[in-house]
Amino acid sequence: MSATEYASAVAAVKAMESGLLTHSDIDQLIGTSALSDMRTLLDSKLSFPKTMEEVWGLLTSYAPGNETLKILLYRNDFHNLKAVLKSKLSGREVSGCCVSPSNVNYSEIDAAFTSKDYDTLPAYMREAADDAYELATRTLDGQLSDSIIDKAALAAMQKSADDLGNDFMKRFAVLTTVCADIKTAYRCSLMQKPRHFLERAICGSSELDREFLIWAALSGTDGLLRQLEATPYNEAVKLLRESPAQFEKWCDDIIVEHAESARMQAFGVEPLAAYYIAKEAELKNLRILTVCKECGTDRDTITERMRKLYV
Amino acid sequence: MSSMGLALAIIGAACAALFAGIGSAKGVGLVGESAAGVVSVDPNKFSKVLILQLLPGTQGLYGLLTSILILRKIGILGGTAIDLTVAQGLMFLGAALPIAVVGLFSGIAQGRAAAAAVGITAKKPEHNGKGIIIAAMVEFYAILALLVSILIINNISV
Repeated sequence: MSATEYASAVAAVKAMESGLLTHSDIDQLIGTSALSDMRTLLDSKLSFPKTMEEVWGLLTSYAPGNETLKILLYRNDFHNLKAVLKSKLSGREVSGCCVSPSNVNYSEIDAAFTSKDYDTLPAYMREAADDAYELATRTLDGQLSDSIIDKAALAAMQKSADDLGNDFMKRFAVLTTVCADIKTAYRCSLMQKPRHFLERAICGSSELDREFLIWAALSGTDGLLRQLEATPYNEAVKLLRESPAQFEKWCDDIIVEHAESARMQAFGVEPLAAYYIAKEAELKNLRILTVCKECGTDRDTITERMRKLYV
Repeated sequence: MSSMGLALAIIGAACAALFAGIGSAKGVGLVGESAAGVVSVDPNKFSKVLILQLLPGTQGLYGLLTSILILRKIGILGGTAIDLTVAQGLMFLGAALPIAVVGLFSGIAQGRAAAAAVGITAKKPEHNGKGIIIAAMVEFYAILALLVSILIINNISV
């Protein structure tokens, strides 16, 4: 790959970055008295692209077929896999439960489950689809099949990032895995899940070893948190002790902080991926803000829940 | 022997225009890609990014100037080519090398710097001038090379 690849795309993305909501915009939105006022103000501030589908459409028009960017959608792909599997088992309509953008359309996943021909799916999904379907139909344990799919998503992200040799995506995959693994280990320790469940649910990464997390989770919630305090993620664990919501915020913030590392790059695919992450964080903030406004949450609480902004 | 000397001098003139021109073409092309990206989102920034795109174009002009000086000195532009020894031909070839080589690499390097500076214009258009200064710093070395080439050409006695 050329050292100056995506010069045009990066410049366009940098121009679009100036349209991202700023801290002052968010403060103004928080300060509105009614939800309708917030929506009116938001309409005037939110610029194109306004949805993740639009963001993805733009990025793929700038960098068509880029495999590195596709890793960003793995979580959506596997979410849709879970949704389609559940719809298959329950006989309910799936379309409303699926998320987009995604690398694989849910109808393709549906067709793969129907025909049991998983070769039509991308290589990173095939084994997980087969295993999860077999397990879900045999045991009817939706939680376990979900865990298998979640773990497969994390493993696929790490493997694809390693195969492509992109340091930005490698770190993104590791951070995503660390956050997901800590959450899974914490929930499993609260629910006193057995070892065989943990083995199927925890992915592991170069930062947090899978065996260490399983062993720590089996020692109970206090034991898990104590063990995690000895890792580089001790600050996050302190937040988890205080409130799982604060830990969730930390997980989102650390991904945006990682995206900021690409902000200074003039070339390459990293600034495009960073923009996707930034826009995702912005839209998440707006969702939180909308829900808080609907519930009449006070200003301080909303401010506390706001995710880190890229700008 | 005289035709060999003349041929060497002409090769020198060609190299100056050729390599410096390639450097500029690559540099201007790269900035053009970045500029097009910005203009596709915000067409109002066209004039600001255009200045940045022009910056790596100067190396090509320096190469052309060196070429003209050589061709004039050896009489090609005057209509009567001067008989040159091989040593004189090599001197003209040597005189063309600074701007040929430095023009090639500085054109590309300035293109990269200017393309990165387009990012400044894209995000913070009010700091456009800083981007121009950053990219223009590379120009200094192309000017040095041009000076050396001109000094050598002027001091070759024919």
